[in-house]
Amino acid sequence: MKEKPMVKIFIDEKLVEAEEGKTILQAAEAAGIAIPHLCYHDAFEPRGTCRLCLVEIEGIPKLELSCSTTVKEGMKVRTQTDRVREARKGVLEFLLAEHPMDCPICDKAGECKLQDYYEEYGLFESSFAESKTRREKKRDIGKNLIHDQERCILCARCVRFMDEITRTSELGIFERGHECVVDVYDGMLIGNNYSGNLAELCPVGAITDKDFRFKTRTWFLDKGKSVCPLCSRGCNISIEHHKGFARFSLPKRVYRVRSEYNPQINSYWICDKGRYEYSYLDKNRQTTIHAVKNGQPVPMDWEQALDHCATEIKKLIYKNKTSRIAVVLHSWLSNEELFLAKKIFLDDLQAKHIYFSDLPSEEGDDFLLTSERSPNRKGALELGFDVKPFALKNVEDTIDILIVFGAFLIENFNPADIREALTHIPVKILITPQESELNPLMDLVIPSAHIAEKEGSLTNTDGIVQKFSPALVPPGSCHSELEFLSGLGKGIEENFSFYKRLSSGDAVRKKMAEDILFFREKE
Amino acid sequence: MRLIRYFFEIIRGFCITARHFFVNIFFHILNLFGIKTKRRGAVTIQYPEQRAALASRHRSLHRMMKREDGKPRCVACMLCATVCPSECIYIEAAEEDDPDIQKYPAVFIIDLNRCCFCGFCVEACPEDAIRMDTEQIELASYDRKKLVFDIDRLLE
Repeated sequence: MKEKPMVKIFIDEKLVEAEEGKTILQAAEAAGIAIPHLCYHDAFEPRGTCRLCLVEIEGIPKLELSCSTTVKEGMKVRTQTDRVREARKGVLEFLLAEHPMDCPICDKAGECKLQDYYEEYGLFESSFAESKTRREKKRDIGKNLIHDQERCILCARCVRFMDEITRTSELGIFERGHECVVDVYDGMLIGNNYSGNLAELCPVGAITDKDFRFKTRTWFLDKGKSVCPLCSRGCNISIEHHKGFARFSLPKRVYRVRSEYNPQINSYWICDKGRYEYSYLDKNRQTTIHAVKNGQPVPMDWEQALDHCATEIKKLIYKNKTSRIAVVLHSWLSNEELFLAKKIFLDDLQAKHIYFSDLPSEEGDDFLLTSERSPNRKGALELGFDVKPFALKNVEDTIDILIVFGAFLIENFNPADIREALTHIPVKILITPQESELNPLMDLVIPSAHIAEKEGSLTNTDGIVQKFSPALVPPGSCHSELEFLSGLGKGIEENFSFYKRLSSGDAVRKKMAEDILFFREKE
Repeated sequence: MRLIRYFFEIIRGFCITARHFFVNIFFHILNLFGIKTKRRGAVTIQYPEQRAALASRHRSLHRMMKREDGKPRCVACMLCATVCPSECIYIEAAEEDDPDIQKYPAVFIIDLNRCCFCGFCVEACPEDAIRMDTEQIELASYDRKKLVFDIDRLLE
């Protein structure tokens, strides 16, 4: 591809280089100069409806819109002159003329751009004596969204999203002039799988999430970046969680999931599945170690549990019967965890029975959502697993130790059948973040962490390896599978010095890159 | 040596008491003759039989203001919970059917065990829903649970 020629312009006396065809706003953003804007969004064609991005250009008598004026060689732009600030103040006054001052009940308050710009450029007493027009405050426009027509400033970001990104065009701007209103077309409701992006896209609180509605306020939430594990696309997300109050316990930790910009994978968007199905992070969490000996529960801590697993495996090593170990993995494990599992079970112990048990595939769509419901299947394949699906008859013959990761068996088989298949196995270990019907069938249940709570990397369906760090603190005595596996590797003592070096995600990633070409190329 | 110091401190204490006595007597006598001074002689109020009037800007037990129809004025914006330095306010919002109200506090708890009566919540409230002018200042209790005020008690 031929590179476009670069153009030199001056913004606030600062020399900025920008590609030909870029707008002043884009050039300024790239140079770290903030120009206020509400309607402009990087993903859409500029529309110039909010009139807030006015700048002064030398040689042009009127103020120009920086979002739709392209750069020209030698252009001299000023973004902070008195004239510009005065104009922005005027624009804000018009925007706020019809905007209700209901910030106390608005879910956007705290991250609302109109609020921020008023603080920065406004701070006026309104000169409108007339009362504001009343419109519908709670209009149901889709399964996940509520539209407040009073708060809308008609920036048309939502309309453009529907026209340009999802191409479903459910939304339109109706009526004219003062009566102008954003609404869905007759009888239509926004039902596509990307509707949640509208609430994130809306610069004011006109479109809000039903899911987040009145749950908490935005300034209480801490953000943590992570990768969405609900399909194999690997969209970048930020998990917003409440740190809690000193004296009062909250019903949940995670309040919402929003998208993080990644031009290679998901751009600015995530699907509704990734956005709204975050409840697994707090629901039915296994937080304690649960061990049963001769039908009686035994208290055990993390070290003891690890020790127990290692001892059981060592017993088989002495008897030279390590082929009687069965391991059920899943593709929610990170590359590092799968690598360690491969080293321990496949290379050291030479176990014959290594299976995968994942959520069954569901329908995907042609945008982001894939049909695979596991984030790291590609990683497992690249690591050299043959990803055999687990079947109950696999463990019918002589198995002495069964180690199951995750509770996905329950999604694939009926609990009664699992019970029957597992009864003759003497040692059954489950490592899972989620409490399920599988728990009573096992001798030892070790709580583990979700992807949002650990560090590692995932390989998405297109082979992009993404590192992630913990966005949340794992609850109770949950430890990541990485800690379990490196602890187990050390505990088995077959190859102690090797696993001793692999106690952190970074160390494992380095070793993995040394061993496997695919990951070396991705470093 | 220690004994001398002991008596010295006792005498010093008496001196302080005596100084207060004579200074107050002096100002009371001036007042008796109608001479206006900036400082006035101290007067002991026999609390709790006698009570001094509270200043109009005093801060006492919180109360929740009501709308005309008796519903709480609070819209659960949680600004008070945000500004509270002792984190003693807990609010859970719920959806109100009336489109003019939309949001109301389903749970509103002020834990007086923790409250430091700074009055920030009153200042922060955008709806003037919480005030600290009930003149109830004797809030001691034998039971900590009785000092956790929920919305019904705050509305009383």
